Formats: sequence, C-alpha cells, structure tokens
Amino acid sequence: MSGPVRPYVITGGRSRSTRPELALESLVSALPEPPELPEHVLLNREHRRILGLCHSLLSIAEVAAHLGLPLGVVKVLVGDLWDLGAVQVLPPVPQAERLPTTLLEEVLVGLRQLR
Amino acid sequence: MASANSAEAAPGAAGSADGPQYLPSSVQGAVKILVTGPFGVGKTTLVGSLSEITPLRTEETMTAASSGVDDLTGRGGKTTTTVALDFGRITLNPRLALYLFGTPGQQRFWPLWDDLSRGALGAIAMVDLRRPDESFDVLGRLEEQRIPFAVAVNTFPDTPSYPEEELRTALDLLPDVPILFCDARDRRQSYDLLIDFVDHLHRNSILELQG
Repeated sequence: MSGPVRPYVITGGRSRSTRPELALESLVSALPEPPELPEHVLLNREHRRILGLCHSLLSIAEVAAHLGLPLGVVKVLVGDLWDLGAVQVLPPVPQAERLPTTLLEEVLVGLRQLR
Repeated sequence: MASANSAEAAPGAAGSADGPQYLPSSVQGAVKILVTGPFGVGKTTLVGSLSEITPLRTEETMTAASSGVDDLTGRGGKTTTTVALDFGRITLNPRLALYLFGTPGQQRFWPLWDDLSRGALGAIAMVDLRRPDESFDVLGRLEEQRIPFAVAVNTFPDTPSYPEEELRTALDLLPDVPILFCDARDRRQSYDLLIDFVDHLHRNSILELQG
C-alpha cells in the first residue's frame, strides 16, 4: 500500500472501472506521445506513477504489484488513462476471434520449446 | 484483515528490487491459467518454478457482508479481506504471453472468482494428499463454474501414494478430469504438468470441434 491513504481515496471513491473489460492479464503501455489533456483533467499521483511505469508493456497485475496498489484501484486508474487516450490497452486474447484450438496449440508449442 | 497465502514461499514484494521486467513490444496479447488450491498447498511454489520473472504478489480487497462467510473481524456487519494473489509469467513466443495466477481456493474468496477466472484457459487445482478434504471446496467450485481443470497432486516427500482410481473416487472426480503428479519445486516436473494440462485442453477442444 502506498502510505496512509485508504485505497479508494486514490480513485475518488470509485471501486468500478469505466472499462469493465480490463482483466488481470490485460496489457497496458503508455503512448509514446500522449495527447494533450483537457484543462479540467487532473491526473493524480498514482495516474502519473502508472504512466511512468508503463513505458513498455506490462499486465494490469504487474502494474498493481510494482506500484503496491490493489488490483481494483489499478483497474479504475488505467480505465481513466485509457478514456483519456494516454495509454493503449491490449485486451486479453479474444477467444471468440481465434479458435481455442489454435490458441491452445500456440500455447502448447511455446511451452514445449521452453521446457 | 486477513491475508491468504502469507505463509507460502515469499514472492517478490511490491516494487521488488528487480524492477519491472517488460514484455517484448511485439507481444499482442496474453492468456491466463489459474493455479488454485487450499492455503499452503504449494501454489506459489509451482508458479515460481514455471515463471520467467520472480513471482510477484498483488492484492485485492474484498468487502462482503459477513453472513455466510467467515467473520474475520468478529465485529459482524461488513468484513474486508485482503486476498493475496501470487503470479508469474511465461512469454510463449514473440506475440503471446501466459500469466499464471495463484488463486486461493477457499469458499470465502468466491466473491472474487468470477472476475479472476473470466477468460482463463483453465485451472490447475493443487491437492495435498495429506489433507485432501481442504480441496473439496475448490473442486466443487470449478465444476459449478465449468472451468476446465486438472488435479495436480503436489508430491511432498511424505505424500502417501494411492492408486489413481482410489484418488478419483476419494476426490469425486469425473473420468475426464486428469489427475497429474508433480513436485512443485522442480522446474522440469512443473513444466511437464503444465504441458500435460494444456495438451488435455487442446485435445478436448479438438473433440468439441468434431462434436
């Protein structure tokens, strides 16, 4: 935890992300040239820490672990940054678009090579 | 507050000294497999044997009305539980990563399960045969949620050995649930376990296609 602030103070009391599709394994990275934010938008310290950490790809779970924030809080904050166009998020591999058989085969081949 | 898994092998603390190990920028997405089972069964050990990064720990807070769940505060009303999730990662190829999430398998954590399990390829349910009854909750849950799973018996030095059929009966498993054995401390055995499990999922998906 980051200091004495209760977790959901960081999110302004919100416990749900604007992006319910965010999963533990969703991959996030800050955009190299972030858009100019509207004047009324105030990023808090934790938003900035996420942007600082995610100059390359990490999962939501890794962001939470490295910043010492609960998963739910990170989902809310990454959702904010996504809404602002400040990060790109690669969704979990959409199983509907790829036959699970093909996907499982890819996992299997990868594991056998690493064994 | 209670923290599950805190007595298991210590994973990297938040903001570990290693610093983040980023995925290659070519990666296009990730899949996940849950590693579940009762407290102390060896989930973090297995994740650590498989992971390319030092296992990390993250936490989720769970607030639930205390009726019907363990009252951890003794104060009634609402309880807040901190659930620790230890996890690891395997970059399978330049495009695809696999995350392994150690997920507590006790009933009081069910409120988190829908979210944790959504999109998972499947779950490895670890069993300690010295106390198999502690796995009954999670086996039931996996069946109810229709998450494809295998049972992984963690072979501790003093693990008793039983014929597979006896185990299947004792754990009340359907014939299509594989029972696998592994010393979770051993990287090779852990990989063989994971490969056998994914192979099982793969073969099932082919059967479904032929359905």
